[in-house]
Amino acid sequence: MSFAPNLPLIRLLVVKDWQLFQKQLAAYVLAGIIALALLGLAKPWAFHLGATLLLVVLVAAACFAISTSLLVERKEQTLAFVMSLPVTPLDFTLAKLAGNLLTFGVPYLVLLGGTAMVILGTPIPDGFVVFAVLVFGHVLLAYGLSLAVAMRVESEGWNTFVMIASMVLVNPFIMVIGQIDAIAGPARTDAITWSAPALAILAAQILLFALAIAWTAWSLGRRPAFY
Amino acid sequence: MIPAFAVQSLSKRYPHFALEDVSLSLQPGTVMGLVGANGAGKTTLLRLLSGLAAPDAGTVEVLGHRLPEAQADARREVGLASEDMRLYRGRSLDWHIDLVRQIFPSWDDDYAATLVRRFDLKPQQTLGGYSHGQRVKALLLLCLARRPKLLLLDEPTTGLDPVARLEVLEALADVLRDERRSVLFSSHNTADVEQLADRIAFLHAGRLVADADKESFLDQWRRVLCLGAAPPTLAAWPEVAAVRSAGSQVEVRVRAWREDLSDRLAAAGLRVERVDPMSLEEIFVTAVRTGGAA
Repeated sequence: MSFAPNLPLIRLLVVKDWQLFQKQLAAYVLAGIIALALLGLAKPWAFHLGATLLLVVLVAAACFAISTSLLVERKEQTLAFVMSLPVTPLDFTLAKLAGNLLTFGVPYLVLLGGTAMVILGTPIPDGFVVFAVLVFGHVLLAYGLSLAVAMRVESEGWNTFVMIASMVLVNPFIMVIGQIDAIAGPARTDAITWSAPALAILAAQILLFALAIAWTAWSLGRRPAFY
Repeated sequence: MIPAFAVQSLSKRYPHFALEDVSLSLQPGTVMGLVGANGAGKTTLLRLLSGLAAPDAGTVEVLGHRLPEAQADARREVGLASEDMRLYRGRSLDWHIDLVRQIFPSWDDDYAATLVRRFDLKPQQTLGGYSHGQRVKALLLLCLARRPKLLLLDEPTTGLDPVARLEVLEALADVLRDERRSVLFSSHNTADVEQLADRIAFLHAGRLVADADKESFLDQWRRVLCLGAAPPTLAAWPEVAAVRSAGSQVEVRVRAWREDLSDRLAAAGLRVERVDPMSLEEIFVTAVRTGGAA
């Protein structure tokens, strides 16, 4: 059994996923830009409204990417068409992961960059960037865990539970990091301070995300067949 | 000559179903109809033949490729379409053609254009606007235009209206004229199988019940209507598949008809009134009820 991925075919399948979902993801980016514009007004009401809308857009984009490329494809039986092509489980797994990371990654990075620019370019304290990055880090981790579960578990109920549970945890996460002085304190100043707790949380988020994706690629890519 | 496929002692077990000890092969240029009721194991066998599923025991070779190890190589030469396979509703047939063309170097643009006209499909229209029959035809087009050496079709005519079914069967009949191409298609519709297949395999409850040329099935099976009292040992005769009595009438279903059987029945006290050929459906039903055809 060959474990060499067929890169041209994987690229084709990634482009296919991008073509299928690009319009909807552009709509999420547009909604995110509206949220950022509200944040940029730098007024308390606009800040809260913009931050809430931005979180909603991020969570929705993450859930959309996973549900359309995996859950809906399973439900609508288009996965059977993809599997009828000359793909191995490794090609399929890598293509699904890469396609999903691309379709979510593009709006995610656009909104992350936009958030940083808004914070740095408006009267919002520059130190808030660290707080915002940690919140984005939580969404990335929740997305990675949801994607790993969706790749492995066919049950729609379990997938919905994991997606909602992990994303909703962003609220307690914000409350927790808001209680950490080393993170909450500098967020109110213009100094961008990457304190030890902030770096530790960010490192843990990135590590767990990478582990979830790597474990999924390794475990599913080694299967001899799809069924 | 390398067979189109060959499976040996094949088994695949799921929690509530098992395909057990199936050995079957198909010579190049042959059309095999795989007949079985729902849940007989047809889809499982086709998944094993396309490398989508790995066997628990036994071997699978398709066009000389060992599966599932060489599944990608095999699927480059195999066209697979199943009743539960769907195309992307939000995209057009042209979009699908463009995707499949990039993957299969053997893609035949002229043949694809011919099939588009023959199936009366609108290539720019999104598939969400297609009827079920049109979607099946679009899927078949995507399979056929890549010019596969082996076609694996799982219930290709299920759910089609009579017109669409006829069009699909006619297109398949055209494809089957190519003597180099081998086809395995599954169906629970014995009329479709009788129309297209050279060879027929019966699958029932995960086991291969029979596998023979269509002509030998039709030549060997007979329904013999007799008058008299059936001797108790009649059902045990090796060539007799089933015996049914109604009053003085006895219907004997024979799996291996020979001219001297009439004399033997007469010697056993039965007067033969009629000897009729059996349809494939009758043969199938009798074979699965009696557990074998040969």
